[in-house]
Amino acid sequence: MERTEILNIINMIMTKKGRAEITDESQNTREVNFRSLDFSETALRIEFKIGSELSFEAASMRKIETVKDVLDFFEEATKAV
Amino acid sequence: MTDLCDLNTVHFGDASVDFAGLREETTSVLGAQELSAERCVFVVDSVREALGCVSYGISHDLDFGVIERARLSPEVEGRFIEHAVQLRNAHDGTVVGGVVAAGEIKRGRVTVLTSGTTGLLKLIAHTAATLNTFDRVKSLPENTWFMPYQIGSYAWYQMVALGLFKEGQGLIPGDFSDLAASFEDAVTRGVVTAISSTPTFWRHALMSIDEDILTRAQLRSISMGGEIVDQGILDRLAALHPKARIRHIYASSEAGAAIVVSDGKAGFRASLLERTDGVIGVKMEEGRLYIRSPYANRVDAEGWIDTQDLVEQRGDRIYFLGRAGNTMINVGGQKAFPQDIEAHLMTHEDVLWARVVARKAPLMGALPVASIVLRKQMDEMAAELMLTAHCEAGLAEFAIPRMWDFLSDIPMKASLKS
Repeated sequence: MERTEILNIINMIMTKKGRAEITDESQNTREVNFRSLDFSETALRIEFKIGSELSFEAASMRKIETVKDVLDFFEEATKAV
Repeated sequence: MTDLCDLNTVHFGDASVDFAGLREETTSVLGAQELSAERCVFVVDSVREALGCVSYGISHDLDFGVIERARLSPEVEGRFIEHAVQLRNAHDGTVVGGVVAAGEIKRGRVTVLTSGTTGLLKLIAHTAATLNTFDRVKSLPENTWFMPYQIGSYAWYQMVALGLFKEGQGLIPGDFSDLAASFEDAVTRGVVTAISSTPTFWRHALMSIDEDILTRAQLRSISMGGEIVDQGILDRLAALHPKARIRHIYASSEAGAAIVVSDGKAGFRASLLERTDGVIGVKMEEGRLYIRSPYANRVDAEGWIDTQDLVEQRGDRIYFLGRAGNTMINVGGQKAFPQDIEAHLMTHEDVLWARVVARKAPLMGALPVASIVLRKQMDEMAAELMLTAHCEAGLAEFAIPRMWDFLSDIPMKASLKS
């Protein structure tokens, strides 16, 4: 899935939760208040969009610190489908 | 022969007939048959036939039940054979399928049919006494009850027992092919004064019938059961029918009727758990509800039946959380209960119906996702924003649904549940 599409999904969730849209990938997920629940929702919405379950190693989630990491993670996970 | 209220009337559209008349109709076709030496279930083509069979079966102390022909299938017929139950046509008493080997016969047993949570037909043994749950009600005002239940179900038999055993109680069977339309018709005719149904039936009716017509109904009594009754539907019905006595009744085909709540609030008073003087006993153990009732069809050694319903005390009230099993949603180790979330969603004025289930999700394990029927159509994104904000005002963050599916109709099962 395209990186911009993933970012659109993330920003839709941010807007729904009354938070500012993310414009800078280098921002820390904590700084922008992108939480575990939001990450999980992003994954669900991506699965819904591509019509298939994402498969990835749990360990790769632990390395996530910035928005860029989130985008890289989902970009990689959707490639594997 | 059991004493029956022969003069109570059943309304079929413009026509009406009393129970004596219904029994005569059945006697004319089954009277010549020797039915006391078998356990049988009458296969009926209409609710009129079904009511005649029940009146006839109870008055003759038969071991019997009724089922609609449309429900028959090789699998269903197999269930009856397993239980040594002979199926017979209600219109002439002839055998349906093959002759079944005779089994144990219990005079006065009434076979109630339930599909349970598994969808597999279950045969539950009752008697006229365990079905007559109104027998302890001293003064019951005269009423004509709209009866929307499926023929042969526990709720249906309870209503039939009301008509058979309590004076001044008339019945209006709903047309199962279009329940909302037949309810509207009964309301328009001005004959219905009471109704027993489920919250799902009401949500369906509220969506299908003009509010002006509904408010014109001179309803004195509204009973609901079969599902968790949430505050939203109680408030809505109270606003529509301020003069009606609104009750929600906790009952199941196995535990029988047990708890009647009429204070307009969801759940029931926790003080019921302390009562030891009543006919019905209620206790909560490890979050499960246990009932001791003379209407139960089976109990443990101490007389209790495990209802499999999960309950929780909040303040001075006990609330239902759903069925034991997999109803809880584990969101990253936090427990979210779909029924709580649904109840909160249905307090929103634009929500007619809500269903919340778990959806497997990475990181958190599972997330709550909601299916919603709105009162009026609106943009889905706007609806999601509106309902998310509504949930944020009353639910923990982990319990807020993350995905939303907006449906055009309430999915209603034959049991009138959703």
